[in-house]
Amino acid sequence: MATTKAESQPQTIDLNSLPTAQVNNVKNQLTQELQHLTTSFSQLKQAQVKFRDCANSVRDGLQKGEGTPILVPLTPSLYVPGKLASTDTVLVDVGTGFYVEKTPSAARDFYSRKVIELGQNLQDLEKIVQGKQGNLNVVEDVLRQKVIAENSKGGGEGST
Amino acid sequence: MAEIQQKLQGLSDAYQKLQQDLQVSVSARQKLESQQQENKGVQKEFSLLPPESNIYKLVGPVLLKQERSEAVMAVEGRLAFIEKEIKRIEKQIQDMQSESENKKMEVYQIQTQMQQGPQ
Repeated sequence: MATTKAESQPQTIDLNSLPTAQVNNVKNQLTQELQHLTTSFSQLKQAQVKFRDCANSVRDGLQKGEGTPILVPLTPSLYVPGKLASTDTVLVDVGTGFYVEKTPSAARDFYSRKVIELGQNLQDLEKIVQGKQGNLNVVEDVLRQKVIAENSKGGGEGST
Repeated sequence: MAEIQQKLQGLSDAYQKLQQDLQVSVSARQKLESQQQENKGVQKEFSLLPPESNIYKLVGPVLLKQERSEAVMAVEGRLAFIEKEIKRIEKQIQDMQSESENKKMEVYQIQTQMQQGPQ
């Protein structure tokens, strides 16, 4: 990432002197990077929503205490009735296959911490996306001008 | 002219091959990075845990109870391994990048030669 950034800086400056094909290449590269970053952004957003849902489930789901009737999903479309056996602790997936037994309040802490972390990442990523978008706009402008200039030049030659 | 054309073709083929290899290495690097992030998160989580917490490890479809020290060590081991792998791939990527940069320059040179030729 760092190298492309360092490269794109001088390229942006002498973009006008580059042939159209190369400007097009730069544009394509930027578009690709932007696409990638936008996908990452929405994935992060989804993860954040998931963690928030988990925190809510822990809060609302365990409120009523032991013996509360629940429906347990066996598959996404098949549920069987059950009862909450214990609301003292929950198992939290902390990643890479490890699960930790936590009290509900500790689990909520864990999830809200994750949400905050992801929120920071999202902010950082948003800045990068905006920067890239700016770069892309500049490159597209230059490309458009070049194409227009070339077309008018070609049309002039054709008429004579 | 045909000779230059041929040379250009060979160079751009080699360049494209390099770019493909580079792509593969870069995605491997990204995958390692995300694994490192995940393991770091787990490590941090372990360090924040109250000492009496139960830790389970998912083995296939079963959760096995694990000693905290064992789990911490497993994560540390993974992190060390990932770090080594990242260093290795990083070097690979650098080599490939400089090589593909060289190829690119050669292609440009030939291209400008060809453009200037007919004038």
